[in-house]
Amino acid sequence: MFFGTKRRNETINKLIEEQTDQSYWSLVGKRFRKNRMAVWSLRVLYVLIFIAIFGDFLANEKPIYCKIDNETYFPVCKQYLVALGLSKWEARFVNTNWEDQKYQSVIYPFVPYSAKTLDLENNNKAPFSKQEVKSRHFTHWLGTDDLGRDVLAGLISGVRIALMVGIISMGVATIIGIFLGGIAGFFGDDQLSSSLLRLLLNVLGIPLAIFWGFGVRSYTLLEKGSAWQWIWSIFIVLLFMILLNYITSILERFFPPKKMYKVPVDIIIMRLTEVLTSIPGLIILLAILPILDETSIVDVMIIIGLIGWTGIARFVRSELLRIRNLDYIEAARSMGFRPLRIFLRHAIPNALTPVLITIAFGVAGAILTEAFLSFLGIGIPTEEVSWGRMLFNARNNITHWWLAIFPGIAIFCTITIFNLLGQGLTEALNPRTSN
Amino acid sequence: MLKYIFKRLLLFLPTLLIISLVTFWLGKIAPGDPLESLPGIGGMDNGLQVTSGDYDRAYKQYGLDKPLFYFSFTALAQPDTMHRIPGRYRQESLSKLVDQYGNWELIQNYSHSLEDLCAAIEALPAKADKDTKIDIRRSANQLLEMHKDIRIESKINSLSEKIVTGGDTLINNQLTPYIRRLSANYTAIKQNPKHLRRYIPVIYWHGADNQYHHWVSSFLKGNFGLSYRSGQPVIDRIRTPIYWTLIINLISITLVYLLSVPLGVFSAVKKDSLSDKIITTILFILYSLPTFWIGTMLLVFFTNPEYGMNWFEGAGLGNLPSSAPFWDRFWETARHLILPVFCVTYSALAFMSRQVRGGMIEVLNQDYIRTARAKGLSTNTVVWKHSFRNALFPLITIFARIFPAAIAGSIIIEQIFNIPGMGRELLTSISSKDWPVLYTIVMLVAVLTMFGNLIADMLFAFVDPRVKF
Repeated sequence: MFFGTKRRNETINKLIEEQTDQSYWSLVGKRFRKNRMAVWSLRVLYVLIFIAIFGDFLANEKPIYCKIDNETYFPVCKQYLVALGLSKWEARFVNTNWEDQKYQSVIYPFVPYSAKTLDLENNNKAPFSKQEVKSRHFTHWLGTDDLGRDVLAGLISGVRIALMVGIISMGVATIIGIFLGGIAGFFGDDQLSSSLLRLLLNVLGIPLAIFWGFGVRSYTLLEKGSAWQWIWSIFIVLLFMILLNYITSILERFFPPKKMYKVPVDIIIMRLTEVLTSIPGLIILLAILPILDETSIVDVMIIIGLIGWTGIARFVRSELLRIRNLDYIEAARSMGFRPLRIFLRHAIPNALTPVLITIAFGVAGAILTEAFLSFLGIGIPTEEVSWGRMLFNARNNITHWWLAIFPGIAIFCTITIFNLLGQGLTEALNPRTSN
Repeated sequence: MLKYIFKRLLLFLPTLLIISLVTFWLGKIAPGDPLESLPGIGGMDNGLQVTSGDYDRAYKQYGLDKPLFYFSFTALAQPDTMHRIPGRYRQESLSKLVDQYGNWELIQNYSHSLEDLCAAIEALPAKADKDTKIDIRRSANQLLEMHKDIRIESKINSLSEKIVTGGDTLINNQLTPYIRRLSANYTAIKQNPKHLRRYIPVIYWHGADNQYHHWVSSFLKGNFGLSYRSGQPVIDRIRTPIYWTLIINLISITLVYLLSVPLGVFSAVKKDSLSDKIITTILFILYSLPTFWIGTMLLVFFTNPEYGMNWFEGAGLGNLPSSAPFWDRFWETARHLILPVFCVTYSALAFMSRQVRGGMIEVLNQDYIRTARAKGLSTNTVVWKHSFRNALFPLITIFARIFPAAIAGSIIIEQIFNIPGMGRELLTSISSKDWPVLYTIVMLVAVLTMFGNLIADMLFAFVDPRVKF
């Protein structure tokens, strides 16, 4: 009886589903859900995102809640306020270590250590070995390194860095890739034309804009280079270019150009990608990173993105080559929309779906690249606790197997998840390849 | 065909030109003075090298006193002869002074008076108080590399204090006029700034006698320059590394092709069977395993007596002297190469097999394969003659990328297993700012990639008669 109802319900659900929704995305979703591995990877990804967001509540040397001298504190929450400059630590927390406080009652996070907490009494402890700790809760379950830093806490803080690497670097790569690939594919070599005057002024204007935006201000930027100074420089460049083009438009009204010249954007952008792909990305990275005097981990992420856009650009380009000949684009043209509007509002949104696949694989690649760079000890500040950095430290004492095994497994799992997701997306979006 | 190849070769030129410009530019904007790592030049005391004749000579020998490029695009305030000043840090501090005040003539006066002061300190008679002399010499040399107003002020003040009220009459008599002039010149800079000149762009034309021109023209002649690290020709530096990287990668590429084709074809033919599922899963896992982690783990567990599994040799290539019999050395090296070759091979193997499998599955679903089966051809003929030939394309595309990827891919393996190959040479030249070696490696890789692509396109035509040029 029981099995009978289940099957009947399933059939009914299936029929309802088939009747109601036949849109593109629901079909894609249905095909994606059929791929068990991909669905599971998505679930694991949710868990990783959770850990990344709430990592401070999972592994922290500060208690989540504590009561000292009849006063209640929420140190982990307060940590955010202090970091934002909205609040200050009480004197007792500044003067005494967290572990030495006299708590009346206390709730510790799941792992009562931060990634950078030094537990010098318990350095170089293997998992499940005898440790000098207050209680079972304070055991280093996955062991400690030579400075007594907890491996599990390091893994938890590494999740955030790994996901940030994926998001930021692929975000940068996606924006550049979609924009350049889109321009190359949509306008091709013969769609974009400009008058000789505009062409010349722009070619001359770009070096000038960079000169006034960055060259003249190089001293200010390098000596007291706050983020605002850089944004101000970029603003100057943009303002100059917009003004220049505005002036050109006015000039063209009085002196209408006789001949329009075609701008071969496709060739230019494709040459650019060829230059970037002619050298393995790793070598470009290794050559660029020493140029920056002090690199933060965000710089490294952005650079990974800056050299990783070529794949996305090619994808978008080939997609737009197809789209620009479709009827609805023709219809939009005949309605007299400007090319830029058609490009941004009508063409680009329809080319974005296949990019998802490249992004999924790209995130895996970016995480791997960051781990690789940290492993080499290049570019990433030493105090940052990422998985690659943990592996780098593990190289110094190779007899301590737990230092190398766990971060490696973490990297492996994350990469596998994104690869599986990419595969699932590929099969869901291009049904032909799966059969 | 020949016409097509010629056309492609012509297209190489602009790409190579841009790559050479970019790498050259990267090398020039990288911070730090590369000559510091040259033996005999770089000392512990940074300040002292600037005045030493050795440094100036090396500076000239490496052609660093020439302008960077055919032209330079800067502000009117900046001089066009900055490159003649020896020492990267000095150039930068002067350039930053110009960025602040814009009056090059006065800054030049200040710089000359500072040089005069240094020379005068050097020329002090031996009778002078030695400690004071060393002290003021260090201060003066530090002043050469300063550009911030507060720090220069306090340095000049402390210098003149030491000289005028230092107690040593000899030093006092000899140096007082110099320090007075220096101080006066510096105040002059601050009092007469020319800010407008900083905002006017100019182009200075330097002609063909510049660093880039010399580098590219000698590169084309096959002369890759001198290493900053050791002073020996780059070609001598990279000869052994190329040898080792080639050995490792040739072995591993052969293994990859020998194994991946049968594996991929087998699992494609037996699609959805148990053995296919096992092979696909293993390959997928191998594909996701980071090489550097596996390398480290292998080194930890299989070369260490502590875990009782020291079946393989550790890092390095063994240390038998070259006088040992050839076969002894051969076996020693071979035993050391097993783990590195395995690491390079497994990830490529996983990738390739997956490509072969994907390609084969797509072809096996085609109608003409069904026809071939229907007319009663044996499975072998169908698989190898009709399908495999058409599934070759991914293999060819990858073939183009193999050699450059091999150099990049072996960076980490060579680093972990301590093998003196190209990857490690690349890393060490990056960390020691040995730009000539780095330029050469990057250019070689770029040329290899482009030739690889060309060869791949030609192979396409060879395999698929429909592709025509």
